[in-house]
Amino acid sequence: MKQLSEEERKKILESSPVGTWVLMLTVSASMVIGWLFLYYGVFLPRGIIN
Amino acid sequence: MNDNTAKNLALSHMWVAFIAFILACFMGEYQVLERSGLFEILSSPTVYFASVSTHGVLMAFVLTTFFIMGFGYYTASTSLKVPVWNKQLAWGGFSLALLGTVLAAIPLLTGFASVMYTFYPPIQAAFVFYLGATLLIVGSWVWCGIMIVMFLQWKQENPGKTIPLAMFATTMNALLWLWTSAGVALESLFLIVPWSLGWTDTIDVGMARTLFAWTLHPIVYFWLLPAYTAFYVFVPKQAGSFLFSDELARAAFIVLVVFSLPIGFHHLYMDPEQAKGWKMLHGVGTFVVAIPTFMTGFTVIASLEIAGRLRGGKGLFGWIGSLPWTNTMVLSVILSLLMLIFGGWGGLVNASYAMNAMIHNTAWVPGHFHLIFAGTTVIMYFAIAYYLWPILTKKPLYSNNLALVQLWTWFIGMSIMTTPWHVLGLLGQPRRISSVVYNNLMTLSWKPYELLMILGGLVLLGSACLFIYLLVKTQFNATTEVFEGQVEYAEPLHAVKDLPEYLNDIKLWNKVIAVFMAISFGIPILQFFFLDTYDSSAWGY
Repeated sequence: MKQLSEEERKKILESSPVGTWVLMLTVSASMVIGWLFLYYGVFLPRGIIN
Repeated sequence: MNDNTAKNLALSHMWVAFIAFILACFMGEYQVLERSGLFEILSSPTVYFASVSTHGVLMAFVLTTFFIMGFGYYTASTSLKVPVWNKQLAWGGFSLALLGTVLAAIPLLTGFASVMYTFYPPIQAAFVFYLGATLLIVGSWVWCGIMIVMFLQWKQENPGKTIPLAMFATTMNALLWLWTSAGVALESLFLIVPWSLGWTDTIDVGMARTLFAWTLHPIVYFWLLPAYTAFYVFVPKQAGSFLFSDELARAAFIVLVVFSLPIGFHHLYMDPEQAKGWKMLHGVGTFVVAIPTFMTGFTVIASLEIAGRLRGGKGLFGWIGSLPWTNTMVLSVILSLLMLIFGGWGGLVNASYAMNAMIHNTAWVPGHFHLIFAGTTVIMYFAIAYYLWPILTKKPLYSNNLALVQLWTWFIGMSIMTTPWHVLGLLGQPRRISSVVYNNLMTLSWKPYELLMILGGLVLLGSACLFIYLLVKTQFNATTEVFEGQVEYAEPLHAVKDLPEYLNDIKLWNKVIAVFMAISFGIPILQFFFLDTYDSSAWGY
């Protein structure tokens, strides 16, 4: 593991967690898409209960 | 703080929890084999329902309640740096809960309480089962009381100071459990116990189900909160980082506790006793719970990102590979969050008023709650045990590598078992059945999925045995090596200053919960006293 300089360390601690934001947005979008797929692709095509 | 009482309480509670867990795992594998219908010799609805009821009670009530109490005592003592308040009372609560467990086990194992862990009337169990369950709950209330007293005493002795996050989370969970368990306590006291004793001939099933719905959903968050507590207070430190935001963590606990309570009617979407407006209100509340879940995901992943970057990770996702994957706590949280994503998504489907009709009472539902509970939650119980066992026993963990194998196999086994379970639900397989006795094209198409579930169950059983083996080998290892480590709580990235009182106390939130509960459950319960309802006679014994 590479030793970080004090400046590098400070920069990491003060920076925004960009990877986390991208990950969270990706997960959220995937969940919405998955939900829509199940609703329009599986649930509605089954039709009404006879 | 080296409080031996807290250590002994933690070890005793957790051993009861994990013994219940391993017994329930064997039953789980039997059930998946029996239910497949592939092994004629195992076929027995009587044994199956006795087993599934015991499995559910052991996992959902015994494992969780004892684990949460043990973990809570240790967290309270070490985070506040004070001994456990009133240790005689704490041991009294433990004894009461243990007595309740033993009493409930007798009818469960002899087939006189095959009512599953939800014990919905009109299926009736022997009175001893309800008595045992009640004593278990009363024992847990003792724990709640001790947590709240320790919280308030510390606040009184440290005016203006910020209560440690670990204790704030633990006390919020105690508050949650007091509110949560009140529903089933009312159901037991006024409906089930008089009925099971023969004092009343019939029971109002609608009212009983309404009161149980009060308990049934927030109980899930009672189980989950220790996992979240570990996410926030252990994981960042173990990863070599800081907690991204202490304030955000507190806010997540508050929103989770407040909104997890008035939402139980999404379990009653198909029931006739509640009007659709109330169901819709509870349904919207269920979606609100997604907010603290996302807040938790964000805070924990951000803490991990900082850790990964401090360890040399570069780029948008390069920090993920730099994380200490060989640390059991870090590996567990990654696997736990992965299962939370899929389990949480399944939960959103359950909560969707219309779409619920598609999966209601199907195999999808146990698939979902196994992924969320046995997956997301229990894997963090393992992580906490691996972290605390060396501290509690003063002996090093027997094998870190085997612990990593155990965590991976639990994740793999859970994925193999729950994925086909969800699919079977979508294919229309009902839940709460012991076998499929007819052979048509539809039921035959279920077989490959049931075979996969057997395989997943076997992997899980092996993983569970390995977990117990590691705990035993750690505690009873003849090594002379002494483990000197102490519990370490994560520091926030930015020191907490001038924390508003609403993020540092539970009193306001207790009042908010009371208002929400009155709105959400007031009329739905009171209606039973003003409307003509029709009771049911008992099924069972």
